[in-house]
Amino acid sequence: MSNSAPRRLIYLFGIAGDVELSPAMRAVESTGWEIIVPSVPGFDGVAGFQPRDEYLDWLTTFWDSIDATGATPCPVVGASLGGMIAAELAALRPEVVTRLALLAPFGIADAANPGFNLYGTPAGERMAHLFAKGVPDAFATRFADRGPEEAPVAAYLSDVAAANILWPLGDRGTAKRLHRVCQPRLTLWGDLDEINPVTNAASWGGAQVIPGAGHLLEWDAPEQVSAALLDFLSSLAR
Amino acid sequence: MKMMWFHLMPYPGLPDDFNTKHRSVWVDIDPALFDRDVMASTYDTYIDQLVYAEDCGFDGICVNEHHNNGYGLMPSPNLIAAILANRTSQAAITVLGNSVALYNPPLRVAEEFAMLDLFSRGRLIAGFPVGTAMDTTHSYSMNPGTLRPRYYEGIDLIMKAWQATEPFAYNGRFNQQRHVNPVPRPWQQPHPPVWIPGGGSVETWDFCAQNDFVYGALTYYGYKMVRETVGGYWARVEAHGRDDNPHRLAVTQFIGVADNDAEAYKLYREPAEYFFNRSLHVYPGFTDAPGYITEASVRARYKSQVRQVARAKQAKHDLTWDEMVENGYVVIGGPDTVREQLEEAARELRIGHLCAMLQFGNMSDELTRYNTNLFGEKVAPGLRNMFAEYPDPWWPQNAR
Repeated sequence: MSNSAPRRLIYLFGIAGDVELSPAMRAVESTGWEIIVPSVPGFDGVAGFQPRDEYLDWLTTFWDSIDATGATPCPVVGASLGGMIAAELAALRPEVVTRLALLAPFGIADAANPGFNLYGTPAGERMAHLFAKGVPDAFATRFADRGPEEAPVAAYLSDVAAANILWPLGDRGTAKRLHRVCQPRLTLWGDLDEINPVTNAASWGGAQVIPGAGHLLEWDAPEQVSAALLDFLSSLAR
Repeated sequence: MKMMWFHLMPYPGLPDDFNTKHRSVWVDIDPALFDRDVMASTYDTYIDQLVYAEDCGFDGICVNEHHNNGYGLMPSPNLIAAILANRTSQAAITVLGNSVALYNPPLRVAEEFAMLDLFSRGRLIAGFPVGTAMDTTHSYSMNPGTLRPRYYEGIDLIMKAWQATEPFAYNGRFNQQRHVNPVPRPWQQPHPPVWIPGGGSVETWDFCAQNDFVYGALTYYGYKMVRETVGGYWARVEAHGRDDNPHRLAVTQFIGVADNDAEAYKLYREPAEYFFNRSLHVYPGFTDAPGYITEASVRARYKSQVRQVARAKQAKHDLTWDEMVENGYVVIGGPDTVREQLEEAARELRIGHLCAMLQFGNMSDELTRYNTNLFGEKVAPGLRNMFAEYPDPWWPQNAR
């Protein structure tokens, strides 16, 4: 990327959906980066969402949303299930991804250690398993602006979308396409990730492990994650 | 009213401390709990009981499908139904049913049901449940978001396959087949009666009403707890311009008959407590999966106090025997008491098909046969003529 190019990146949110920008991404934003978060059906909690028939339909949905931003080509940061989608984007449409940052990406599961079964857990208890340092208010009050009757429905729809992508093990064959990812890549992983164990990082060629962080590590460890991201992104100009 | 004998086929040997030592009877139940000799003899006993039900005058005998389950030992109800078709001659062979989306391709269901209909010379009732979240999304790992469209498409394929007069191609969202041409076709033409077991989904009510299928309100909590579900169903039947023929509905009910009320109270306590407080020990995390319940049903759920109460009770697993009786989970008593309660329930809910569950929990074979015989001799005759003025086009052509 040249020095005159706009400093913008696409951020693909994680399993708990699109709530608000995480502290880590806000820190990145504060340095002058424009953070663009595509709006994706289902995760927006809008009534009438229909789950997709197959993974290719989801990739199409995400790519339509990403293309609608007009931001590409640019760096892409993907967290959790967003990391899986970001990796697919980098592998299959390499021209739109200049750099790839993955935060505990789904996409490659280990049957010997599949991690905590989030969707085999009562709905009210799930959030606690995504964070190592308590559930942030942004997630505890997801969609509260929709009102008391609509908020739980919107949250349900967001979970429907995530489960529709990840069921049952969060593995959609990404490993078969990983060799196509040729962009500079950063992978970060929380060592306390319950649902996508850090041992899975080996399948991605290793990761920078963030101590004390759970699955949504950009919320658990904003300083470490933002520092790593900024270092990775700033290397663009080197 | 048609009366049917419904077997869940529970494993009878779950330990007394099951609830404290194990988190769930379903999905991840410890396989070490099952003794192969007990399992094998249990199948023999339960199949004999179903055959005995026909001898006692029941109009139909029912089996169903569950997976990874300690209280339902029929991952393949069709295997049991095949035996029953051979060993009986008059009762409706009621398979409630095959969870269509679990079969790949669903045409397998069309084939096996057609075989059962031929084995029984036209006595099959073809049940098509979605299947519980425990069975489908957790035990079989079906994607919850696509389970229902797969299910509806599977039924569409089966119905077309049964009625097609020549091979055809099918190009669905999930199933593409160039040569749909199942051999054999069913004995009953144009197809066996179709019943849809459900748990209260708004979409299922509409699906039954639109397609003129029987709705089966399969509940473990008795006619009192199923009032809201049944009321919702009948409202949709009316909305779709269908008549109120009671035979559009089937309801399950645990029943314990004895010579008198006091005897029934004494006899059925242990098996009921075993079933409700041990067999239904299901980890709550397995009861829902995001997408298993439709958006419409989620909205309805948040407005349904009755359902919330029922779910809370289900999660409790410490029901007292008196609670079970008072709430109608189990209808017990002498023949007159049972008949009066069932008659009242049938009139209020318009139940044309009663799926009587006369074996539950760890009920012994002796008590099961006593219960079955008493019901057949002293309860059924007083109920049989209910709704006789209504035709029953949803009954197998060659069943009694």
